[in-house]
Amino acid sequence: MPPEKSNSKTDIIEARCIVESAKKISGPVLFSSFPIAFLQGVDPEKGTVSDKKSDIYGEEFRGKILIFPNAIGSSVGAYVIYRMVKNRTAPLAMIARTADIITASGCALAGIPLYDVSEQYFYALEKFDKITIEGKTGIIRRFGSRNP
Amino acid sequence: MILKKSEEKALSGEYGEALQSAYRVLLAIARLTNAKRFVPIDWAHVSGVSYLTIGDYGLDFLRRISASKAKFKVFTTVNPCGMDIECWNELNIPSEYAEKQLKIISYYQKLGTANSFTCVPFQSYSVPNAGSHIAWAESSAAIFANSVLGLRTNRESAVSALAAALTGKTVYSDLHLDENRKPSIALKLSFEERESHPEKVRKRKFSGPLSFGLLGYYAGKHTNGVVEFRGMGSRQTIAEQKALCGALGTVGSTGMFTQGKTTGIEVLDFGNKEYEETLNEISDSETGELIVFGCPQMTIEELYELSKSLQGKKFQKKCVVFCSSKVYETASKRGYSSIIESAGATFVRDACADFTPLISSLNVDSVVTDSVKGAHYMKRVHGVKTALLDTKEIISGNT
Repeated sequence: MPPEKSNSKTDIIEARCIVESAKKISGPVLFSSFPIAFLQGVDPEKGTVSDKKSDIYGEEFRGKILIFPNAIGSSVGAYVIYRMVKNRTAPLAMIARTADIITASGCALAGIPLYDVSEQYFYALEKFDKITIEGKTGIIRRFGSRNP
Repeated sequence: MILKKSEEKALSGEYGEALQSAYRVLLAIARLTNAKRFVPIDWAHVSGVSYLTIGDYGLDFLRRISASKAKFKVFTTVNPCGMDIECWNELNIPSEYAEKQLKIISYYQKLGTANSFTCVPFQSYSVPNAGSHIAWAESSAAIFANSVLGLRTNRESAVSALAAALTGKTVYSDLHLDENRKPSIALKLSFEERESHPEKVRKRKFSGPLSFGLLGYYAGKHTNGVVEFRGMGSRQTIAEQKALCGALGTVGSTGMFTQGKTTGIEVLDFGNKEYEETLNEISDSETGELIVFGCPQMTIEELYELSKSLQGKKFQKKCVVFCSSKVYETASKRGYSSIIESAGATFVRDACADFTPLISSLNVDSVVTDSVKGAHYMKRVHGVKTALLDTKEIISGNT
């Protein structure tokens, strides 16, 4: 893991880039505390988590930056990620606490930018409403105004 | 990560879209795992074959790849599909499904797969020497390869295994390296010490696919990384090993288990309490209308055992048995399959019990099985209740 820096005043987090994006990404955060099972745990037609126990059950990924600890379950999950892009229900980007082979291969194929961050910064991201990500470097900034 | 000239060219698209995508996937995984290089592989095993799992978008993707000049560069096997390819029309498979399934199969065949549709590929083809690098998707098979066969593979995804098949390489990281094949947590089987629950005084004999499946499911839920089992006994049957690997891969991300007594790692207990908890979590019915055997698919050893215990018996309800066509062929030659069929069971070859439209089309509300992995998925995919029972209990209670 490369060193990651955070500055609490400017809210900058350096994430590791797994699948890069040529462009800067900006959008609201959709934060899941629970791991995501892409196969059988995600509805690719709607682009939502279909597990009722999830804290983001039913919330649309589309137009958002999906942040979650890690993926679990079947390896066919990679096609579900690809499928969401074809359905236009996919998130703008994903940030994982621990990116894994299912998420990485699915995102690479589907062209969804993917980053991962250390545990400390992962939980810091939960408090962010909107963020921007530098597509190639993975530098994350809090975006827009938000009163402390 | 230093790329060879040919790899750079492939990434830039010089060798076509298929290889470009394949190398993109490999590069993302290399970044993910901090790998410095790729490693040539002896065998790729690709998942994502049933139309029920990959759907139209997986199908479209495979059509695009197979229509190009791309071919599998190494020996490649693929997972089960959703139906018996030869006699699907006798088995209530909707024809729209069958049509799409046959297309997917033709794409894989065009890419150059060995003619097998199986989640236990080690049953039908000769296994390379221990230590060989392979790239297997299908979590149960990958865990089996690492833990039982001494091969080296990460838990590949459908896509990463396809990338490996197309390039003949995988990323040299994680379970390919010695230092990552050591356990970081242990699970101790402790049934003797747990007799403090008076209601469960019946001493449990820890054997058979159900026991090992429950152990695997619990381990998958509560551990990460390589897990060490203690007190499992020195010898397991292939059915038990397969059940353990299947359940371990169903939940959690573990890619390998070991047996031993490593010092300095956390040790969790697995006793009656954990056994019952896990059983009650998955099994939500006392009995079922349909018996399902073969998740993961039956091995020849299991078909032998099944035929022995079914000699002269008849099932009182419908029973389906899932295995590959290659294993079925062997079972036919040895006379096992005829005994099983005489008992009233139906073989479904080259298909997966969890991802076939068959179970839904049989219109049953509940299924009996000895497979923890099968119960987990059938409940979710087919919306049935599942009764998890020991193999012997299933036979004695239903014949």
